[in-house]
Amino acid sequence: MNLITIGLNHRTAPVEVRERMAFHRAALGEATCLLLGATPLYEAAILSTCNRVEIYGLTGDLVRASAAMRRFLHEHHKLTENVESHLYEFRDRECIQHLLEVACGLDSMVVGETEILGQVKEAYLAAQQAGATGMALNRLFQKAFAGAKHIRTTTAITRGSTSVGSVAVDLAEKIFRDLGSRTVMVLGTGEMSEATAKALRNRGAGSIIVCSRTQERAETLANQLGGRAISYSQWPTEFPGVDIVISSTAAPHPIVTAEKLTPLMKLRRQRPLFLIDIAVPRDIERACGELENVYLYDIDDLQQIAQQNIAAREREIVACRALIAEHLDRFIVWFGSNRGALEKRYAKRTRGASLPREAHTHAS
Amino acid sequence: MSDRGYLWLALVFYAASCVLTVFRLRKSRLLPALQHLNSIAVIGGLTLHTVFLLLRGHHIGRCPLTNPFETTVFLAWGAVLFYLLIGPSYRVSFLGAFTAPLVLVISLVALLGLDDTRRPPPVQPIPWVVESHKPISLLACGAFGLACVVGGMYLMQERQLKTRRLTPAFLQMPPIEQLDVINFRLIVLGFGMLTVGMVGGMISYRIVGHWTTPKIVWAVAAWLIYALLLVARRMWSLRGRKIALLSMMSFAFVLVTFWGVSLLSSLHRGTP
Repeated sequence: MNLITIGLNHRTAPVEVRERMAFHRAALGEATCLLLGATPLYEAAILSTCNRVEIYGLTGDLVRASAAMRRFLHEHHKLTENVESHLYEFRDRECIQHLLEVACGLDSMVVGETEILGQVKEAYLAAQQAGATGMALNRLFQKAFAGAKHIRTTTAITRGSTSVGSVAVDLAEKIFRDLGSRTVMVLGTGEMSEATAKALRNRGAGSIIVCSRTQERAETLANQLGGRAISYSQWPTEFPGVDIVISSTAAPHPIVTAEKLTPLMKLRRQRPLFLIDIAVPRDIERACGELENVYLYDIDDLQQIAQQNIAAREREIVACRALIAEHLDRFIVWFGSNRGALEKRYAKRTRGASLPREAHTHAS
Repeated sequence: MSDRGYLWLALVFYAASCVLTVFRLRKSRLLPALQHLNSIAVIGGLTLHTVFLLLRGHHIGRCPLTNPFETTVFLAWGAVLFYLLIGPSYRVSFLGAFTAPLVLVISLVALLGLDDTRRPPPVQPIPWVVESHKPISLLACGAFGLACVVGGMYLMQERQLKTRRLTPAFLQMPPIEQLDVINFRLIVLGFGMLTVGMVGGMISYRIVGHWTTPKIVWAVAAWLIYALLLVARRMWSLRGRKIALLSMMSFAFVLVTFWGVSLLSSLHRGTP
């Protein structure tokens, strides 16, 4: 009895290939059943996210299973070209290690991202509900979840934000006592300012004011964020009551200068002010950051912090691998001592006993 | 073991907390086990610290505030006590970790450099007003000491935010605005207690009929400094870094002059 994984990810395949290979979330169970019918796998699960497509399986014949799984991927997606070169294959020890690494986010585009664990859980649940998992994969996935949880809490692999928006939110939380009573002003609309404003909103920012040269766009974004839109000429009057400014206008020169800001800080009674300047060319004069109780971050600063956090996560990979090795060894021991039991369990099935999931396959 | 032995033991606990702090500051991950260890170290230190004060008080038959050594140790004890009162209600991580070094330094100065001549127990019972005005004033200084610690934490976090260079521990430290608020509340508390202590001192003068001039000058100076700090914050909306810095400088000034004055008054006491 052996474990096998075949798949591709963001490193081995470009997005054009990945999108064609992706399985629909709703049809995942059905696809798993088709897979079991078409391959000599006793148990199987399909993991499909925007960055990876992988099949995990238990088989008694690695060579035949490998060929059949590759064929299945081509046929199921009705591919005309050959994707062989994008596929990787892992067996037994490597297969288990790979699943552990995937679950921990070590294999993700952004190292340590946590969304993947939820996606692996979904893949497992879909396979389980379709009756495609058994003694081996149930244990494998459950141990992978436990391992991922353990590694996440004992290492810094998930620490530190890795996107501009979430870095800005982290900083806001280190300046203000509670975001709930704070007002955010979005100056100029754009993808990045929208993402940052949303991140702040999700973390509980009190009220949001959106201001853009085009009133219509301001109103659309304000509706999305649950804030209010004001006309562009109004922003200086609203400014003293604002605690966080996200600026991304297309203005060629700085619109907020230290000279303008100094009297406003007096009006605010020196309450802290957080300025996030994601415009290029910059909207806020660099000298503003030197004023007392003003904290200014531009796009480069935020990106640099995000990069540092990614680098810090990458430094944690060694520690993660050491922990993964422990979990891996434990699973290998279990798998080794249960091989016989698995063989006995699936011996009948190999002889062609009628299987409930085959009936299911035919029905669908 | 002499009562000073208990204090030395307390310092071992505080020193352990300092070592843990340095270790924690270099890690970016939350280490709950170390956090617990740190709490245990601080609470252990405070317990032994209290044992020392009780033994000493029992020995000399009054509040152990009769010489510069005792008063300094009492002041440090006040700072830890305020940490234990305030820490849990604000859930400020790292506050205990930063309090331990200050308490360690103050107590070391007391143990190594300050006069510890024991006074005989009083012949007559001392009226409670006379007896209590000193500990109240010193507890006020403990609050100022903790405000100084909070101010230091503020400066550390603020510097990182301003220079945009974030250390691994940045995310674990409390927000600067919260540190600012705690600093303010501690100073208000300390100021209130110092005021009460000074009124008590005035009443004591009426009862006892004599005073030690340097101590009164010191108390009035401390009172004025902190009054000015509060006015600066309220009236001139001085906030953040400046207030943090001022609260640290004020405490340093109060502490150093306190030692100077204690020295003076013990000389004063030495002459018949």
